[in-house]
Amino acid sequence: MIGVSGVGISLAAGSFQVPSVDEFMPPEILFQGTPFALNRIIIVRLIATVVLLLMLGITAARAKLIPGRWQGAIEWLIEFIRDNIVYQVMGELRGKQYVPMITTLFMTIFVFNLCGIIPGLNIAATATITMPLLFALWAFAQYWVAAVKGKGLGKFLKDELLPAGVPWPIYIILVPMQLLDIVLIRPFSLTIRLFANMISGHILVALCFAATQFFLIDAANKAFIGLGAVTFVAGFVMTLFEAFVAAIQAFIFATLSAVYINLSYPE
Amino acid sequence: MRTEAAGGIQLFLPETYDLVWSAIVLVIIAVFFYKFFLPKFQSVFDERAKKIEGGIANAEKTQKEADEAKRKYEEQLNTARVEASKIRDDARSEASHIIGDARTKAEGEAAQITANAQRSLQTQQQQAMVKLRGEVGTLATALAGKILGSKLADNSVQSTMLDQMIDDLSGDDR
Repeated sequence: MIGVSGVGISLAAGSFQVPSVDEFMPPEILFQGTPFALNRIIIVRLIATVVLLLMLGITAARAKLIPGRWQGAIEWLIEFIRDNIVYQVMGELRGKQYVPMITTLFMTIFVFNLCGIIPGLNIAATATITMPLLFALWAFAQYWVAAVKGKGLGKFLKDELLPAGVPWPIYIILVPMQLLDIVLIRPFSLTIRLFANMISGHILVALCFAATQFFLIDAANKAFIGLGAVTFVAGFVMTLFEAFVAAIQAFIFATLSAVYINLSYPE
Repeated sequence: MRTEAAGGIQLFLPETYDLVWSAIVLVIIAVFFYKFFLPKFQSVFDERAKKIEGGIANAEKTQKEADEAKRKYEEQLNTARVEASKIRDDARSEASHIIGDARTKAEGEAAQITANAQRSLQTQQQQAMVKLRGEVGTLATALAGKILGSKLADNSVQSTMLDQMIDDLSGDDR
């Protein structure tokens, strides 16, 4: 942040609005100080939730035997999540009970991520640590429950902590590492991967457009107009890239959750 | 700079209200997906699969029925063909039979007619012969009487002469 701020200052005495991490900690707007306080990101999240529920709810309520284009697209997405994520990782028999969970994760993360490039919202609803953390905790809980139900807790811990075919002195290092993995690293890597992607994506897009704004409009020196065009194109490309990232992060989160749950079952 | 540095850590510490709202939103969305959205689409998928399977089964049934009907028709056609040829053969043999009968009958009738004709011819010939013999006798008697005059008044002579004459005539006929 210091580097970025430094560049901003050197270019234009203060008028260059550099995006900072403060944007991910917006001030409380409503119900300040209560457990139901609302800030910008939470409002975006509520809007995204309403839109998601309305969009998919109306689609489901109107679902016909012979689908239209929109219903066809939604059905394709449902089947993609079911077949290409859940069944691909877990197999149909085991995966069946996790289809609703993984579908919920994928759809929610995808729509929440997309808010970052929707004009007017302009920030991903997953852009505070809490939302990805909750998703990850859900996956975490599911794979522990699955471990108890599937392998039995003892067998699960033995398989994870004392992998077969390893000489015993290695266990001294391996056991704490593996324990750390199943208890902390798995949920937190899920959380941080999604959260950091949303932060960096937002900062990149915002930086590009802030620079465009500065070079084209605010800057006194019009020699930078060409540079503004470049940053505009870059911002445009980054926006498209963010749409891609929104989908890919949803896919990764859903797939990894399925993989973690699957690890809790015997082969 | 100081606020930003502090914010860097803050970034990774969840706020209570954020947790509350995230949980509310996640529970609502999860309930929506678990209880409504996915079951609804599952029922649509199931219904569609059922309909397609039903359609395929129906088509198979129809195909089977059509095959069955075709087989039946072909069988009937074959039977009819065999029957027709049999009838034709029967008719032909009957016709030849009838013709043969008719021929035999006609030949028989013709033979009878010929025989009858010959018989009547013979009868007539005989009658003619008898009649002729009588007439010739009378004629000859008369002729001889005329030639011989009253010399032949004697009956015995007359008779003998007549017989002799007829015998001669018969001999000439041969």
